[in-house]
Amino acid sequence: MKLKPATKLGLNIVLAVGLVAFGFLVNATYQRYQGTGLSRLPQTSGAREIPSSNQRIARPLATISTLVSSYISGETGESEPGASETTSPAHGAVGRMTDELQLYPSVTKGMRTPFDLWRYYGRGTTSFGSPVLPMRFEQWLEFHRKQKPGLMADVRQYMDSRFDFSGEAIPGHTMSGGRKPVMVGPVARLPEGIESFEELAKLSPQEIRERDLFPYKPLCHPLQTNAHMLFPESWLEVHPEHRRIDVDFDIPDEYLPEFPPPLFLTTHKELGDIANGQEITLDNYYEIFDGLLTPEQMEGLKELLRPSPTTWFNHTSHRLTESPSQGVACMDCHVNGHTNGAIELAPDSRPNLARLRVDTPSMRGNYNLMQLSSKRTIRSLDHFSEVEEYFDGDPGMQQAIGPRAVKREVTNRMADFNAIIDYPPAPRLNVPGRLIPSLATESELRGEVLFHGKAQCAQCHSGPAFVDDYMHDLKVERFYVGRPEGPIKTFPLRGIKDSPPYMHDGRCPTLRDTVEFFNLVLELNLTEQEKEDLVNYMLAL
Amino acid sequence: MSAPRPAPDLSFHIMRLALGLVYFHFGILKFFPDLSPAELLASQTMMRISWLDAHQALFYLAVFECLLGLMLLFNVGMRFASVLFLLHMAGTFAPLFLLPELTFKIAPLAPTMEGQYILKNIVFVAAGLAVFVPVLFNRTAPHSAAEQAVMAVHS
Repeated sequence: MKLKPATKLGLNIVLAVGLVAFGFLVNATYQRYQGTGLSRLPQTSGAREIPSSNQRIARPLATISTLVSSYISGETGESEPGASETTSPAHGAVGRMTDELQLYPSVTKGMRTPFDLWRYYGRGTTSFGSPVLPMRFEQWLEFHRKQKPGLMADVRQYMDSRFDFSGEAIPGHTMSGGRKPVMVGPVARLPEGIESFEELAKLSPQEIRERDLFPYKPLCHPLQTNAHMLFPESWLEVHPEHRRIDVDFDIPDEYLPEFPPPLFLTTHKELGDIANGQEITLDNYYEIFDGLLTPEQMEGLKELLRPSPTTWFNHTSHRLTESPSQGVACMDCHVNGHTNGAIELAPDSRPNLARLRVDTPSMRGNYNLMQLSSKRTIRSLDHFSEVEEYFDGDPGMQQAIGPRAVKREVTNRMADFNAIIDYPPAPRLNVPGRLIPSLATESELRGEVLFHGKAQCAQCHSGPAFVDDYMHDLKVERFYVGRPEGPIKTFPLRGIKDSPPYMHDGRCPTLRDTVEFFNLVLELNLTEQEKEDLVNYMLAL
Repeated sequence: MSAPRPAPDLSFHIMRLALGLVYFHFGILKFFPDLSPAELLASQTMMRISWLDAHQALFYLAVFECLLGLMLLFNVGMRFASVLFLLHMAGTFAPLFLLPELTFKIAPLAPTMEGQYILKNIVFVAAGLAVFVPVLFNRTAPHSAAEQAVMAVHS
């Protein structure tokens, strides 16, 4: 088939015009797709419109003309993913901060996620989980058998790029059980070109952000598509039933709380560590606590020790253990009322990729807290127990995996036990929680002055438990490009040396790292000696 | 006697345009995050065979497919296009080996929807051969003995 050159040229011009028009049509389709139930892109206009049938026909044409004119004029359309912060409510979302973020990658259960998920945003296809795997269970096992070695190699490389886990301990300092040393810090690695934390602290937040120098960016779950409870090696050696097929823990045991930790009761301070170095289990709790607790507390403790099915630890094929699992008990993470350092995702948000990694907080001193949970601001211990019993808070999943078994009167009992778990002794503190000078070192005393003064710690960490019971937004996103994490509850500092790693996601593996973190975030300009004094003071709390 | 190979007829151009349009269409979708139904499979495959992350993988794949589509549509650079086509086809079949858990209910005969979507690409391969073989080889050259044998069977 031979065509004249002129005819051929004409046809090519028609084709080129057609393709350009086609491109605009796809773009217009994209604008209409955003914010619908199928889209992972959050809605960009003030309210979801339901157009009339006439509008449905007219809108694509109007959109195309708008797009053409905006392309020609070089302006972006109002519905661009990176809509400006200053957009009015009628035309877009006020306060939107997505300009520098990327849309979450398209992934399904089990698939690897970027380790820097804070740089992404987007909505999920639904708020509700599904108990259906994307493949047969045999394939699920095989998929993870193939993926896990490579994933863990990358996880180790990533963690090594962020932290220098040298394993060096602070001489003469152990956690309250007396068996595990407290580690030297800081272990966060400084970015290339920066010689010291003092040099870094001299830079403005904006410069640190622009040069991507912040060493304390968030930590994500190493496999956030599955996420859920991830136990450290010390726990798995004793409880191999909780070893996951998909991923292992990413922080070395030296930088985690001692296992098993001591348990102190407000009602029996004279007995010291009630657990006496043991892990409290369903098998031994009665023997240890009978005659010491009230019947209600005993019932509550038993419930805290009783495993219940969770999203990924259960008897169905929607699981991350090779064999069917009995589930997880509250005190599998909150071992002996404290923590073994296991991580989860905070249950307060969706999609799962947006949920923040959270360390297991200690239950010590919960009796004093007016709000519980890092993001949920739960106001009572029985509600807290109810939430914890089914961590991911997904009624849809419960239907398939196991119903919420605990009724309100039982969660009240769980709270009864929770309410008598005490902090470890702090013999060098007086009644108002200040150091007794005759028992403290010079460095600790200087640290106390700094704590209440220049370092501004006491602004939030005040009172008998060194906590103000408020949520604070540190606005750490000033220092790196990322999704803002919003307000997070202040953590009590009583007995803080027992609870590494620090911050809600463990991004500060040592106390010294937390001092470096706040020195940057609060722009304190602390000296080396002042940082050392603050660490020594916190070791005494 | 070898018969001279005829110049490409209308069916050749229709096949070429159809291939080009499909490549261009499916390629341009990948420029828009979340719009392409192949996003998951494509990005996961690319991430397994390259050093790219999901976003980079999709972007470069979009560029690749659109370029190939345009070359087919405008009938330019067909020799280079044939190389791109072969690379792309190899890539599209890769999930069958790299992600068998997502492409087969039970390998190798019971594919999932995604697996079936990939297996159907065998028609694409055939169409590609129909388009590229006349371009890559001299159009007026005589048919090979093997081609003559095939033609004899189907005549």
